[in-house]
This record gives sequence, C-alpha cells and structure tokens, in this order.
Amino acid sequence: MIETRLRAEAPDEACVFVLARPSRGVRRVTCLLGDTIWPMSGEVIATPYSLEIRADYISRAMEAAIDAGESVGLVLIHTHPETTFGSGVGVFSHRDDWYERRLFPTITLDRPKALSGSIVLGTECASIDGRLWWNTGVGPMTQAVGVVRIVGPEIKFLETRYSGWSDHPDPSMMDRSTRLWGAAGRRILQNLRVGIVGAGGTGSIVLAAVATMGVGKIDLWDGDVVKKLNLHRMLGTTAAMIGSNKATALATWIREIATAKPFEFVPRESWATSPVGLTLLKDCDLIFSCVDKFAPRVPLNDLAYAHLIPTIDMASWLHPSGGAIDAIMTHAHVWSPGIPCAWCRGTLSSHRLTREAQGAQRDAERHIPYGIPLDQTDEVEPSVLALNLAGAGLALLEFMQVALRITNRTPWDLKLFLPEWELDESDLRRMPDCATEVATACGDTFVITPIIPFASSPEGQSVGGSGSPSVSHAD
Amino acid sequence: MARVPAPEHLKAAVDALSSATGIEFAITDHVVTGTQLHAVYARQHSLPERYNQTTGVLGFRIPMNYPDASPEDCFFLQTSDPLKLASPDPTRNSTDVYRASLTPDFLKGTVLADHPALVFSWHLWDRSPWNRRQNTLIDHYTHCLRRFDGPEHD
Repeated sequence: MIETRLRAEAPDEACVFVLARPSRGVRRVTCLLGDTIWPMSGEVIATPYSLEIRADYISRAMEAAIDAGESVGLVLIHTHPETTFGSGVGVFSHRDDWYERRLFPTITLDRPKALSGSIVLGTECASIDGRLWWNTGVGPMTQAVGVVRIVGPEIKFLETRYSGWSDHPDPSMMDRSTRLWGAAGRRILQNLRVGIVGAGGTGSIVLAAVATMGVGKIDLWDGDVVKKLNLHRMLGTTAAMIGSNKATALATWIREIATAKPFEFVPRESWATSPVGLTLLKDCDLIFSCVDKFAPRVPLNDLAYAHLIPTIDMASWLHPSGGAIDAIMTHAHVWSPGIPCAWCRGTLSSHRLTREAQGAQRDAERHIPYGIPLDQTDEVEPSVLALNLAGAGLALLEFMQVALRITNRTPWDLKLFLPEWELDESDLRRMPDCATEVATACGDTFVITPIIPFASSPEGQSVGGSGSPSVSHAD
Repeated sequence: MARVPAPEHLKAAVDALSSATGIEFAITDHVVTGTQLHAVYARQHSLPERYNQTTGVLGFRIPMNYPDASPEDCFFLQTSDPLKLASPDPTRNSTDVYRASLTPDFLKGTVLADHPALVFSWHLWDRSPWNRRQNTLIDHYTHCLRRFDGPEHD
C-alpha cells in the first residue's frame, strides 16, 4: 500500500508518482489512481523538511503516463512526517505550492485529456490535502480536492479541508443507529450519494431502507412504469400510481420518510445503463444493482471496477422442476476491487446472456434438432416480496460493511438457499484471466458498452451543478 | 414491428467477418420477434455437394449484447426449394438432413421471415466456452462450417 511504504521513510519526507485516469460524471470529476512509479536510488533526495525530485524521475514518470495513453495523468503523493517540531500536517506548505507551480505546467502541457494532481499526507491517517491539475490548452488550471476515497472491499473516506460535507443538524434522532456506526458513520451516510438501479421489487425496498437510515443523496433509475402486477411487491406504490414512472412515483413518499438533512432525491425516468445513465452513475459513491436481467449487470459490473464505485448486486431465483418449485435462492454480492467480479463468481456468463437474449425462444438450440416447437415463455422471473426483503436485507448488511465498516471483513457474496435454509458465501475465486480486474481504476479510458432495453423511454432530464473534485484509489 | 437497428459494434463485427471470409455478410435491421437476437447472414453461400442445392442463405443469430453474450450454438440455411441430400444417407436410407429441422418462427419479424429456416443445432461453445474477449464471429462461422466436414450421419 502506498501510504504504508511512504510513511516507512519517516522521519524523512517521501514521495511517489502514480498514474491517474479520469472518471468524469456530471456533478463531479474523480481522479482514479492506478499504477505506482516508485523512485529509484538517487532520484529523490529527502530530509524531514524537504524533498528534491531529480529530473530523471520526473521524466521517467511522464514517459510512463504518455505511454499509457492520452488520458493518463500523474499524481504526486508526498508525506509530511512527524519531526522534532511535532506531527506533520496534511496541508500543502508554501514550498509545496511554489514547487507545484513549476512542476505541473510541465506535466500537463499538451495533454488536454489527462487529469493530474498532488496529494500530501500528514502524520495522522485522516490528515490529508489534495488538488487536481489540468491544461485543456488555455494554461494550467488547478482545483482543491474535497474527498479522497480509498476503495477496496470497503470504502475509506478522507476529507480534506475543502470537503463540502456536513453533519446532521439533529443527530439525537439517530441515536440508536449511531451506537453501531458512530458519529463518523453518521457523517458518511449524511454525505453519501447512493445510486439505485431499478425501482422494482428489490429497488423499492433498498430505497426505503437507505432513506430511513439517513443517506443524504439518492439517485433512483428506472425507465419503466408502475403496473398492476407491481403493487403486491413494490413498496410505496398505490393503484393511483399505475402508469406513472416507477422512480418518479416513489418521490413524494421517499422524501417524507427520509431522515437525512438536507436530503436530496433524484428520480430518473431513464435506464441507468444507457450512455447518459452510465455517466450519471459516476457521481455516486456506491450503487445498488436492483435489476431483473443479466444484460444490465455487464456494464454495472464494469463500472464498479473501472471507476472504483462499489456496487451491491442482488437477485432472487426460483428453480422449477416437474411443475413445482424445488429450490429458492436470494443473493447479495459486492462488486469492488479485492472481491471477485460477477463473471468470476458465475453470476454472469456468456451462455446466460445468450439464453436471456433468446427471450421467448429460450433454449432454442436444444429443441431444434429434435423438431420440438420453440417455447413461448413470457420471460418474466418470479418475484416475491418476502424473498426480495431477505435479499435486500443481506444487501443492506453488506452496505453497512462497505460504507461504514461495521465488522472487520466484507463478505464477497451472501446467498440464502431454500429449502436448506442456509446462508452461504460462495468460495469461487477470481479467474486468472479476469478482464474486469484488468480494467480496475481505468476510469474513462475503459470503454463500457451501454445496454438499453427495447422499450426505453427518452433519456432523463439533464443535471446541472458542480461539485468539488475528488480522488479515488484502489486499496 | 419496431425497428431495432443493430448496434454499431455488431455491424463492425459483421464487416470484419465479411473481410476475413470474402463473403458478403449482412445483419438484420430487426431483432427476431420476442428475442434480442439479430440474424447475421450471407445470401448466396455455397453449400456442400452432398445437398440438392448449390447455394442458399447461411446465417446464425447473435444477441444484441455480443460479444459479452455468445452467438447461439446453431446456424440456419434457407434455400429456394426444400434442402435434401442429393443421394440417400446409407445409414438411414433417407435424403432428410440429419439433426436439423425446419423452424417456422426462427427468423420471425426479420427480413428473412418469408422462408422457413432449416436450423442446425451444433455444439462448440458447450465444450469450449465462448471467450468474450477473444472469440469473434469468424470463430463462430468457422465452427458452423465444421458441421459439413464429417459424414451426414454420425
């Protein structure tokens, strides 16, 4: 880990260049840190109060960034260690400012698509500062970083002095929950932006739960409308909502039950896996995948790893045999660096996707040689409220672990099997040639193929505003 | 019937198949009714001498989310007259094509729907799983042609 290796150089300062790739949402831009380029002997001269970086090291790092692609920038991370004067503070010194004003115009020159930056680490873990540097052709530009996220099986949030986060004005109302995740956890929830993809059987449950738990910002996507058959398993809906968009239909109810203050709910009447939706999702800190098909899980799984946005996927499954249901399963699976992806865990496979695409002619190739007529199925999987509640419960436990670290280990996935009544965690490991892992932290340099259902509604409303930039790093 | 244009990446894959084989392949503008499958086809594809026709439409169906999803493990032929063996298969003493069947709705809703498709079930991707990062339509087409390498009756 970068932080550990740099701190090991104390009492001297230490530094490293890291390749950085952009993740551009609509509300925020995130600089994703990837491969490290450590200095070789003699390339950095360090004392407890200063660093001198030789031109050879800078040139080597710049060449590595150029070789990696036009969107790849450099982030310089350095430490302010504890000295005889006391603890080092994670704030840029005047000397840092002076040095960076000389360094980054060179690093960003003629690289308009790349995002670069710098981070300073103080002695204390949470003492950190950062800023981004870029040059789109009108000269070097810089902006302070608000939050640094370290993303692995859990997310660690580090606020800088420019963080725009706030506390709940009346924390006493959350007393019973705060006993589990503490004031720090409450602050995270208040400032977290959670994306929920799908407002149906599982999505409506997750929505109600995270709003009640105190999540401050929720974006909900669904391009579908409420139908009569949704009413018996979709929380918060009434017969009067039939024909209304699912996400919009839930807006009034969810704003009434939300406990965060301020609370922001954005219903989006479009598909999250469309090109616009995938861009908007990059604004989220964490995503719940509440979709009922395999196809949209492909881009969501890619997004989780390429853009370092932990995603919790949930699904229920019923297996019929001889006219009766002989097995039931509901699962919640975390997709995040350090945890095998949906392909490695067998949730996704090319065969499954093909079978799903066959729709009403499912398993056609198995019937054809024997002249059996093609099945005409309605393609719809069963959906049962109690099963969805169980799956959403597992997902919410995983959510508390990923965002708030309530225990010392994040489960890779949790599956509840009936009729065994067993809770199991799959032991499938990462595949050696996992393409998803290769794309980890690649951000916008990795192409994600959108998935748009046939009957998609027009793209959702555009979103304006600007947020402070942030930095994410894979743990 | 709503037109569902093939995604650009599918059209590019079909162009690559045409370039590699020297055969003009096309992709349907519509998906097969009730599915998310387009058909990729060549109009005047030569057929083995064992059949009573020398050319016909040869094609297969691929999902819209190819290459994450694999092509179906089968392919189809369409000919102007019913396709038969030119001489009876000695094992079965029949001119019927073995392990293939006319499947009425196989291309329903597409430009190829006017003629029934003789669909050959074939099993490569069962044994050697489709690799979405490596395999291409050229692999799938090559694999389809292997159906004609062996004897008609196995």
